[in-house]
Amino acid sequence: MPKVYNWQIGRDMEYLYDEARPKKQFAMVMDTNKCIACQTCTVACKTTWTSSRGQEYMFWNNVETKPYGFYPLGWDVNILDKLGVQDIDGPVYKGKTIFEAAPAGDRMLGYLPDDLDYAHPNLSEDDSVGSMTQGAFMQVPHMQWMHYLPRICNHCTYPACVGACPRQSAYKRPEDGIVLIDQMRCRGYRECVRGCPYKKPFFNSITRVSEKCVGCYPAVEEGRQTQCTITCIGKIRLQGFITTPQQANEDNPLDYIIHFAKVARPLYPQLGLEPNVYYIPPIHVPPAYLKQLFGADVASAIAAYRKAADDKKLLGALLLFGATADIIHRFKVTDQFAIGYNEKGDELVRVPFREPIFLRPAFDEAYQSVRSNIT
Amino acid sequence: MKAMSRILYLTALGLGLAGCVTSGPESAATDVEPVAARGSHYAAQLSKAVPAPDGGLQAVRVAGKGALLDPFAKEWDGVKPVTVAMQPQVVATPNQPNPAVTELSVRSLHNGHWLGVLLEWKDGSKSDRLVVDRFGDQVAVELPVIYRADSAPNPMMGAPGERVNIIQWRAAFQADLERKRELSIKDNYPNAASDLYPDQVLKTLDLRSYMGAAGVDNPVAKHRESPVLDQVAEGFGTLTTKPHQEADGRGVWKNGVWRVVITTPMSADGANAPRLIPGDHTVVAFAVWEGAAQEVGARKSWSDWVPLKLAR
Repeated sequence: MPKVYNWQIGRDMEYLYDEARPKKQFAMVMDTNKCIACQTCTVACKTTWTSSRGQEYMFWNNVETKPYGFYPLGWDVNILDKLGVQDIDGPVYKGKTIFEAAPAGDRMLGYLPDDLDYAHPNLSEDDSVGSMTQGAFMQVPHMQWMHYLPRICNHCTYPACVGACPRQSAYKRPEDGIVLIDQMRCRGYRECVRGCPYKKPFFNSITRVSEKCVGCYPAVEEGRQTQCTITCIGKIRLQGFITTPQQANEDNPLDYIIHFAKVARPLYPQLGLEPNVYYIPPIHVPPAYLKQLFGADVASAIAAYRKAADDKKLLGALLLFGATADIIHRFKVTDQFAIGYNEKGDELVRVPFREPIFLRPAFDEAYQSVRSNIT
Repeated sequence: MKAMSRILYLTALGLGLAGCVTSGPESAATDVEPVAARGSHYAAQLSKAVPAPDGGLQAVRVAGKGALLDPFAKEWDGVKPVTVAMQPQVVATPNQPNPAVTELSVRSLHNGHWLGVLLEWKDGSKSDRLVVDRFGDQVAVELPVIYRADSAPNPMMGAPGERVNIIQWRAAFQADLERKRELSIKDNYPNAASDLYPDQVLKTLDLRSYMGAAGVDNPVAKHRESPVLDQVAEGFGTLTTKPHQEADGRGVWKNGVWRVVITTPMSADGANAPRLIPGDHTVVAFAVWEGAAQEVGARKSWSDWVPLKLAR
């Protein structure tokens, strides 16, 4: 197999095709600390993309409670179990990726979920690790923990679905790195469903071919962020484009968050796909678990996030989450504002670091009434 | 590329054909005659060899001029079935080294207008419901588009410039035809509940973008008039459905045996159809997929070319 460079694991690795990075790479940052699992993103995606026959069970975007929530059931623990214990310490991953662990006759290590694995998309919602014993009282931080994990397709640099398809029906667009399944070419072999460790390709039992998150490409082509991003009521997401660490531009908000401030990490980087959705890790979750999820650098990402107040540029980048429906290519921070620009350099949005406060008198003379909310 | 496919093929012979030489397990049909094993012969004369068409399949001439669509037609009784050894596809990935079906029982007829191939194999489970972890039973007949006695195409789906016609019957399509209406989610999940679908509120033109593969007329996604796909290929991953579907077929599962007939017109349609002339020789190959064993796509068993003589 050809050797390609995966910066997330700090080394060359085997992949089915040669390294061919797109002109731009679709990417997203999600702040898990701000997610409340309201599923507005899930419903926005569902109503936009998967309302047809055969798509009833599909959630191209889902939000699950970790560590016990899964969609499909057990997706991550299953592939981790098959991969076995690997050394994930250090900047260079010494374990095997799913491509390097491919069994004889297969292109990668994978598995096909059972049909019923998709039957409980919200199983374990809000379940915590451990239980409160009789007489226990809550401490801060809480001794029980859980966190929410919103998920879309990672539009990976080295997609397993693309590598798995014997017909090259799954492909990665050179213009923006979005990974799609050609609905004309696919014949429903489900090799992508089997191969993708994130289980984001889905089989449609009515059209009998596989489908996946399309990265809202018609919107992205028009310079607009994805539906799941712009509908997020918690403003936890920012969608744009990312470059490699070598080409990182600190004026690109995603590059700044990921490559400069280093507060966001990819999901299961050890699997070797170089996923392009990045997570600001939940700060209250035990580091050992987070390391498995987000890689060796997770502790430093949390430390940097905790000091966000000291990094005005990071703070500015974080302020741009949910501030505009358009894709922000560049940003600038002034004393008072974080300003986002589109690809042409036009100003898209100006977010104040401190919102102005308007105080109204508690008693309104004009209406002769008392206000309860005076700000 | 051509050299590459030859190398791949050589590997296949080395890995797979050994089992072909021995007589296989008892066939689904009784009174069958094994096709002479020709693996070593082929390997020895790799680039030019297609063995002399002896001991192969005879397409017996019958009266009539329509498609030979009835797998239980009495004409089949007069044809002696032959056993074709099936071997695992292990050249391309992904593959399944222990496929479920190891032999097919094959008969052939023609009436001067249509060629019919009757395929039978044991299958304890009828698999025609496709959901994420369920795959369908399938069988395919492969014919070279251009056949010369001194050079047959690569039997593994052809090669660039060596086009083959692959006619694949699918149990799921057969079930569609017998259902006589569009597939519904309740066919796959009887207790499914759903509210409004886009096709209940939108006009056809607006609807296409909501229909995924069906909206772009993907041949595996649209409601079919035939249980077979009439296709061409020039190597792995190139299988393409012909714009005009001419072949047809019918399959019946009974008492643990699939009995499937695949029929194709003998009048050639140019670049995509095999030359089938009464009195001529050609070759034919087969592939079979056992749905219950999750065989699909490249996870299949296949046969080498079998000589086919079309009776005058």
